[in-house]
Amino acid sequence: MDAKIKETILNPIFKGNPITVLVLGICSALAVTVTLKGALVMALSVIVVTGVSCLVLSLLRNTIPSRVRIIIQLVVVSMMVILVDQVLKSFEATYAIDRQLSVYIGLIITNCIVMGRIEAFALGNKPWPSFLDGLANGVGYGLILIIVAFFRELFGSGTLFGIQVMPAGYVPNNLIILPPAALILLGCIVWVQRGIQKDLQEK
Amino acid sequence: MNTNGNLYTIIYTSVIVVLVAALLAFVSQSLKAKQEANEKADIMSQMMTADGIGSKASFQEIGNAAVLEKYAGEISEAFLVNAKGEKTADIDLSDVWSPSLLKAQNNQIKKGELDAVEVPVFKFKNGTTVVPIYGAGLWGPVWGYIAFEADGKTMIGSYFDHESETAGLGARIKDDTAFQDEFTGEMADFTQGRIFEIVKGGAPKEGGKSVLDNKIDAITGATMTSQGLNEAINNWLAVYKAYLTNVKTEEE
Amino acid sequence: MEYLSLFVKSIFVDNMVFAYFLGMCSYLAVSKNVKTAAGLGVAVIFVLCCTLPINYLLNKFVLAPDAIIEGVDLSFLSFIIFIAVIAAFTQIVEMVVEKFAPSLYSALGIYLPLIAVNCAILGGSLFMQQKDFASCGEATVYALGSGIGWFLAIVALAALREKMAYANVPPALKGIGITFITVGLMAIAFMTFMGISL
Repeated sequence: MDAKIKETILNPIFKGNPITVLVLGICSALAVTVTLKGALVMALSVIVVTGVSCLVLSLLRNTIPSRVRIIIQLVVVSMMVILVDQVLKSFEATYAIDRQLSVYIGLIITNCIVMGRIEAFALGNKPWPSFLDGLANGVGYGLILIIVAFFRELFGSGTLFGIQVMPAGYVPNNLIILPPAALILLGCIVWVQRGIQKDLQEK
Repeated sequence: MNTNGNLYTIIYTSVIVVLVAALLAFVSQSLKAKQEANEKADIMSQMMTADGIGSKASFQEIGNAAVLEKYAGEISEAFLVNAKGEKTADIDLSDVWSPSLLKAQNNQIKKGELDAVEVPVFKFKNGTTVVPIYGAGLWGPVWGYIAFEADGKTMIGSYFDHESETAGLGARIKDDTAFQDEFTGEMADFTQGRIFEIVKGGAPKEGGKSVLDNKIDAITGATMTSQGLNEAINNWLAVYKAYLTNVKTEEE
Repeated sequence: MEYLSLFVKSIFVDNMVFAYFLGMCSYLAVSKNVKTAAGLGVAVIFVLCCTLPINYLLNKFVLAPDAIIEGVDLSFLSFIIFIAVIAAFTQIVEMVVEKFAPSLYSALGIYLPLIAVNCAILGGSLFMQQKDFASCGEATVYALGSGIGWFLAIVALAALREKMAYANVPPALKGIGITFITVGLMAIAFMTFMGISL
């Protein structure tokens, strides 16, 4: 049992990473990776939303009428997203970040990771493993977000978490800041990962 | 239990929806005051940043309560003016104008219905005047505040904000203090059609510094946002023209 | 004229895929061949055009502050209402199409459940709320434009991927890796539209 839980937690982080392997949740992943701070808040929001939504729906799994399954899932997920959005707006420290992330917080609702994990895991498993699976997938997603944001902020603005790290004469690379660069970076991450893990390569 | 019957489905869905709605209504109500306080403190600190009373970062550090207190200590008068420069109503000193209010006025300015426009003026105890501007950037609205010396012409500084400009490019109107500082010392020119100009790389310079006229450099790589901001500044200062030029003659 | 400029802008400048990366999951998953890509594209246009005006009206007359009762602001419910409209709509369409047009259902039906969770649809509604359109007509034109933009993007990528199947791509990049990079390059190409002022 322990090995199974360990597998549930570790698999989504590398081998079954939701972004690079399952190709889920790209939508909001790319737009928020210009700064590390934004990426971190987004990652935490997604972790909370996937974790708690999976837990709640796993608790409800035997009572949900199958015909309205999708709607019930969406209602629970959007409830979580609204809660996260409201909480972010309420704290002085996160108010500015919430403004910066604007519609992308709302788009966590349709983040395929959340719905995908609920459909594939939470509806068929007990609450505790479902909760862990949700959290772990959120972490796997957040990890990629933070890697992409690290490179984009470092080369695009010469800073990390808003603190200047590049030497004073560094001219920021505007291309990295533009949205398409995130896709190309993501392509490179996939390249590296599949270079290490040959069994993931497509024929 | 049969979870697929019609009655069960309808009742189940209704119960879930009502529960969720009730929970959200409760949370939204209980957090509303905090959210509004955040917005208010944010706007106040933006105006004070434009006025050179402090930097946006320093206001963020001291927290909401201190920002409100500081603002209350600095503000002396707040009122509405129309396009003829006449004062029409007072604004409560603890109130600010949120972007949505600016937006409503901006719609009328765009339609050319200048008679109906009423815009806010915030006067501070140090003799300065802060006025807001509002317009469309590349992706969404841009707005901000410009602070004037007592002569109603010389600019002390500015602070701009936006909803969804490209991070690292257009978003620099908000994040890049160097851009906002460019306004310091520049003069609005109310004698001709264009009151102020954000020029793409072509503002007159002397010894590497921008000449203190009505032109400053645009942000590299953010042409559309700079243009939008330029229009916003010109449209709004045109409304304030009567008021700001009156201030000057009064003083003389 | 305003409608035309909004229309062109929403197809090219504010392209759902290349400017906002919306609807990426199904965009990447269903772009392996042109025929299925076109099917999904049409379904997206259809659902966007129907749900966006509904959400516009709901937003204006139900959710906006003071819309129903003076002093009541329901805007915190907007996410949930929008997604409920979208999910309910796709389910209804699925049922209607299945019953009355079985041939259309076999062509389009499999994509409809996918669409409820397509961020481009919810994104359309959220952007509608943010952009604050003046009329229902504007919102519909925006929906049509965004839908067509998405359609163009997915058909173009599918065509490229069909050709790319014969290219000699490094093994670790094959499939999703090279697709990411291709989409990135396409997005850079689409950025040239940004300078057009309409």
